[in-house]
Formats: sequence, C-alpha cells, structure tokens
Amino acid sequence: MENRPSHTFPQKESLEEHERRSQSGESGNARPCPSDSQPAPANNSHQPAQSVVVTITDPRGLHLRSGRDVVRTASQFQARITAANLSRNSSAVDIKSILQLVQLQARQGHELQLAASGPDAEAAIEALRSLF
Amino acid sequence: MIGLVIVSHSAKLAEGVRELAAQMAGEEVGISQAGGLPDDAQALGTDAFKILSAIEEVWCEDGVLLLMDVGSSVMSAEIALEMLPEQQRRKCKLSNAPLVEGAIVAALHASLGEPLQSVNAVAEAALSTPKLANTG
Repeated sequence: MENRPSHTFPQKESLEEHERRSQSGESGNARPCPSDSQPAPANNSHQPAQSVVVTITDPRGLHLRSGRDVVRTASQFQARITAANLSRNSSAVDIKSILQLVQLQARQGHELQLAASGPDAEAAIEALRSLF
Repeated sequence: MIGLVIVSHSAKLAEGVRELAAQMAGEEVGISQAGGLPDDAQALGTDAFKILSAIEEVWCEDGVLLLMDVGSSVMSAEIALEMLPEQQRRKCKLSNAPLVEGAIVAALHASLGEPLQSVNAVAEAALSTPKLANTG
C-alpha cells in the first residue's frame, strides 16, 4: 500500500479492496480490519472504519450546490465522516460542514478519500459514493 | 424549522445573499431580507422597521436567526428586536456569523431541521473556518 501522509483515518484500504477480500474469503492476516491498528473511536462502534476513494467528475468541481447534497446525505448518518483531497495532499475535513467541505477545493479529476467511522459507517460510505 | 433574516446596508447584497441561502436551503426554510433604506432602495443603510417586517415575514415558533453585515446593521437589528413582543423576541437571535458564509451554513442546517441555537452555532463556526485552509 502506498505511503501517503497521515490523515485522521490512517487506514487506507478502499471499500473495493475490503469487499474483494470479504467475498474471496481472504483474511489477509489475523486482524479482520485495518482499523484495529488505531485507537478505538470514542463511540461504541461495532463496525470498522470504512474508506473509499472517489473522483470528482463534475466539470465545475465540488461546488456549493453539490457540496450541499453531500452534507445533507452525510448528516443522515451518525458516523463521523471525513474527506481528504488526495490530489491536493490536504488533511481530512468533516464533511458534515459545508465550509470545511469546500475547503477541499476539489476540481474535476481530483481524488477524495472519504472515511467514516461509527455504527452506520458502511451505509454512509455507500450513500456518499453515489454522489460523485 | 427556523426562519432566517438577512440584514445588509445594501438591498442588492441582501437580495444576493438571500438567493445563495435559498439555494442551500430549498423551499422549506423561510428566508427574508432587509437591505437598504425604506424610502430609497438604492440608498445604503439599515432600517429597524424594515428588519422588523422581515422578521414578521418569516416568523415561526421555532425561532428566527438574524444575520447582519457590519456596524449599524447590528444596532438596527437590536432595535428591531426591541420592538417585538417579549414572547417573540425570546425566540429571535442575532448571529455573530459572517454574513455570506453564515447565511450559507445557517440555511443548510435550518433545512436539516436543526434548532435555533444549533444552527447559530454552526454558522458562527464560520468565523474560524478559513477559505484556504487544508490545501497544499
């Protein structure tokens, strides 16, 4: 796995990779999820942290109105959800905040890493990835 | 769902900020504006009676958040609140948020059904959220 600068969520496994391993029965190692290596989140999550990389396809980039839809969707979940703009090497921001989200200054083609932790993290990532 | 009032010295600015906020909020959130002086819409200034009308326009039991530009906008908004009956005044709040960022954030969070104090808190967090942070 490539070594990118440390973000709020140190695990870098994409959702695709996670699913592939789950489906093929691979365990990788004794630890079922990569988030075991970081301190437990503050809440009593039973799900591992989830993460996925999405690419901005909108020619105008991630703008206020598309950001609004991201915040609205993210706000439906209890999970803590962050995004980092990998193309700008940014640190992770809370995507339930529209002003933090637009701080990512995400242009078309930029890659964002979405990461969620909490009881509904997986559902949150599924819902969010469809917005990009 | 709370209502929002946009207060600016400029009627055009108030209208523009209201337009932005409405885009973030959708249809459900009442957003009114009070910009410029009552006698001459082109003249820059703020007017307590105009603000009072704007509050009444979006009044609801969940409360009303007022977002102002600078200086006497705040004083005029204070005077407008003093003209309200006590029962209504208690549910109105002057926000310390910057006008444009605050209106965008407040409109979005109002549309999520958040209560007055929470909406104001996230709007005021705009004071410590720089535009250019986190980019390298």
